[in-house]
Amino acid sequence: MNGGYTGKILNVDLTSRKTSIIETAKYEDWGGGHGIGSAVFWDLCKDKTVSGFDPGNVVTIMTSPLSGTNAPAVAGRTEVQGIGVQGYPIEWFTRSNFGGRFSGMLKFAGWDGIAIQGKADKPVWIDMRNDDVQIRDAGDLWGLDTLETQEEIWRRVTGELNDWWSTGRGRDNGRTTQRPAVLTIGPAGERMTRVAALLHDAGNGAGQGGFGGVFGSKNLKAISVIGTGGVKVADPSALMAAREWSNKYAIAGNWDNYQPAPFGMGFHSAPGSAAAAYAPTPPIPIGPMGCMACQHNCRVRFGGGQTNGSSCLDFLFYMWDARKHGGKPTQVLQDAVDLVQRAGINTFEMEGTIIWLANLYGMGLIGRGKKIESSLPFDQIGETIFAKQLFDAIVEGKDIGKDLAQGSARAAEAWGRYDEDTASGVLPLQAWGYPQHYDARTEVEWGYGSLLGERDINEHDFNIWVYWVPTVATLSGAQPPMSAEELSELMAKKLVPYSDPMMMDYSDEGIYSESMAKLVAWHRHYTRFYKQSLAYCDWSWADFYNTYGPDHVGMTGEGEQKFFNAVTGKNITFEEGLETGRKIWNLDRAIWVLQGRHKDMEFFTEQNYQVGAVPGFTTFEAPYVVPVHENGTWSYKNVAGRKLDKGKVEEWKVKYYKLEGWDPESGCPTRETLEKLGLANVADELAAAKKLPA
Amino acid sequence: MSGDTEGAVMAENEGKKALTRREFVVGMGGAGVGAVLGGIFVHGILLPDEIVALPASEGYLLVDTKKCAACQTCMLSCSLAHEGETSLSLSRIQVVSDPFAGYPEGPQQNQCRQCPYPACVEACPTGANHVDAANGNVRTIDASKCIGCERCIQACPFTPSRVEWNFEEKHSQKCDLCSNTPYWDQKGGPGGKQACVELCPLKAIAFTNEIPIQGDKGYFVNLRKGDATWLAFGFPDGDNAEYLSAPAAQAGEGTQ
Repeated sequence: MNGGYTGKILNVDLTSRKTSIIETAKYEDWGGGHGIGSAVFWDLCKDKTVSGFDPGNVVTIMTSPLSGTNAPAVAGRTEVQGIGVQGYPIEWFTRSNFGGRFSGMLKFAGWDGIAIQGKADKPVWIDMRNDDVQIRDAGDLWGLDTLETQEEIWRRVTGELNDWWSTGRGRDNGRTTQRPAVLTIGPAGERMTRVAALLHDAGNGAGQGGFGGVFGSKNLKAISVIGTGGVKVADPSALMAAREWSNKYAIAGNWDNYQPAPFGMGFHSAPGSAAAAYAPTPPIPIGPMGCMACQHNCRVRFGGGQTNGSSCLDFLFYMWDARKHGGKPTQVLQDAVDLVQRAGINTFEMEGTIIWLANLYGMGLIGRGKKIESSLPFDQIGETIFAKQLFDAIVEGKDIGKDLAQGSARAAEAWGRYDEDTASGVLPLQAWGYPQHYDARTEVEWGYGSLLGERDINEHDFNIWVYWVPTVATLSGAQPPMSAEELSELMAKKLVPYSDPMMMDYSDEGIYSESMAKLVAWHRHYTRFYKQSLAYCDWSWADFYNTYGPDHVGMTGEGEQKFFNAVTGKNITFEEGLETGRKIWNLDRAIWVLQGRHKDMEFFTEQNYQVGAVPGFTTFEAPYVVPVHENGTWSYKNVAGRKLDKGKVEEWKVKYYKLEGWDPESGCPTRETLEKLGLANVADELAAAKKLPA
Repeated sequence: MSGDTEGAVMAENEGKKALTRREFVVGMGGAGVGAVLGGIFVHGILLPDEIVALPASEGYLLVDTKKCAACQTCMLSCSLAHEGETSLSLSRIQVVSDPFAGYPEGPQQNQCRQCPYPACVEACPTGANHVDAANGNVRTIDASKCIGCERCIQACPFTPSRVEWNFEEKHSQKCDLCSNTPYWDQKGGPGGKQACVELCPLKAIAFTNEIPIQGDKGYFVNLRKGDATWLAFGFPDGDNAEYLSAPAAQAGEGTQ
């Protein structure tokens, strides 16, 4: 028996307000989530070069076959794709995803995903109750914040739910005690800003890409779904056994032998590890909060409920509060996060923007009577009043908010500061207009992945082990749990089919090596399939090193496909999943080529070539301690101060292109490569657009 | 949900305080009987006013909502173990959460209480909903005998009803402490394991052989106090108005 898929994808044309069904079976080979999303986008979006704001843009919201199951750290995540509006200078086809329970509820309602085309003539919301799909007027929802919208839709669908709710009268109708799962935009999305997010429940956001603004351009306020069905599982006993097996790698299975993890991310990490540190001083009570079927439950519920579920960068973007108030977060942070989440603004974009504004203010370039005129209270950065006025300005398109609503890259261009500020690092962008997350000069796999793609990758698979763990250990004077040599040996076992220990060499030579090209390729293929198509959560997977694993070896290479096979009844190997990831990565690359991608435009911002990596200058990095192999010896080394050599990066790009079977002159996948992957139709479309390499 | 007022008023002793059936069922009414009869193999005993006492279940689920992360692993594992599919609607424990509510509010863990005096069993006209002597007297439903009248669902005194309607197979079902899990290769029931207990990531569900004090106090317990792992996370173990983390509370930093 096949399991995991419901068999149908909802196709919504907002222009005609008609819906239809796409059969999932046609796309099953893509796995789920991102793979299916890219393939559906490819088929439905007739002109892939239009703006993200164009009604012709197609947005896909996809589940995984594991959504709604009890597989750990995967069941609640939802993948969003389409032409984004955040990318710069081109609005790349892009992705984001979010946690919670939306994908599970979609499956329970009988849907593998949603494709949205067109533009409604006035604001609408989509009301999904099992098979019944209605496009409803959202005139009275327009203007509500993300929290208010969800609560209002809950009231409209199930009322004040505290009992069993039925989809209708009679014994044949499904029943549930659950609230509808709602995905919504706030005022920032309604105003079609490029910095708007999609929000679901408390703190689950899809920010990158600016899909909030895309929803706004389609006059789509929200999607609500409630389902009373279940997910068919091919081998239920195997799935139960797999979940029990994975418990051995989690705290739950080692409760009486709890060992703090080396870093607060990973399968073995503690509940609340993504948010507990941001509780204000004086303290308020906090408890754990998790996504569907998660073993980790990394987020927290705060006393009073303000900022529930927010995590990591949702808070970090305004740690200016702590800087201003004795080094610890205060109620100011809670208020700022609450404001940004309710407005539906992408917190990651705010991270870079506020750093930039603070720098411009410090340079005397912005403020009343300054070169960049603004009445915002820059001397109050770190206080609630500045956060509120900044967000209001962006939402209302007033003061500098008019430009910042277009994202910091476009604002810098409008203010004539892009070249200078991205070269100096005053505006901390890395590539494609996205704020720097981790430093391309030091942790190169992060930078390369972002550069070869279309956005900040936000994939911590290696980041934990090549950056955070050795860096934190160095700062605290402790020994990392693995030596650099042991790390290279572990990764050589895990990173099939390459199995090259030199992939962990982040030395001045290693970062331009063939081995680094293999590492980046493995990462692109792994994440495209396992994390973005099957939807394994970045906060728990990949599981390389595990505190509780035999010899501390984690589940990656065994765990991912174990759950997939139990649910679907398929029998893929880990490497076959990686190959599907390669196929998805190539399809995405082909879409970018159609949009104008070429080798000659794949550059980091100039700061990466001109300025040494300075800890703490751009975003929030600590010293850059990474594994290196020098003079025949492995060690961890602080590589702070390193710049990238532009010529060597260009040579490395060619190594990478060749490894992927892409044309070294253009960076475009060749016909041979595409046909090997079963993508001859993609090659044909590239050829028709005169984009296929000769 | 009905069940609150239907049924006769039971006179404990003529001329003394009268209990409604709900008070009997929800409160202490059956506990003493069950406790006395625990371990004695009887099918029932006739009490005054024609209330039939049944042998007490040999197992109970206890929950701590202040530990619950509302991840619903318990629900999905329950339905998977029993039905072979993952479905919130078919789970025999129902966790409901308001994501915007502040700690310690938010999650509700609605578990079957294996009532010493089970109104759902009493309400069943066919014996489908019964006390399973072969599995530690757990209150459970023989689907083959269920005629779908839903009286047991209505009779459950709790909201939402702990007996649920399986609309796919058209019968009632309820928690059996995993005594019948075709899709879980573990021995379940009062003498074995329960999927929700085993797989809860926060250890927010516990199993006991002892009959809890009848009432919320007996079934909603503090599983945090004394749990060194829980405290290591920095979460609070307070029982009353104080929910600060233990270290913060010890330091006297602020109050709720």
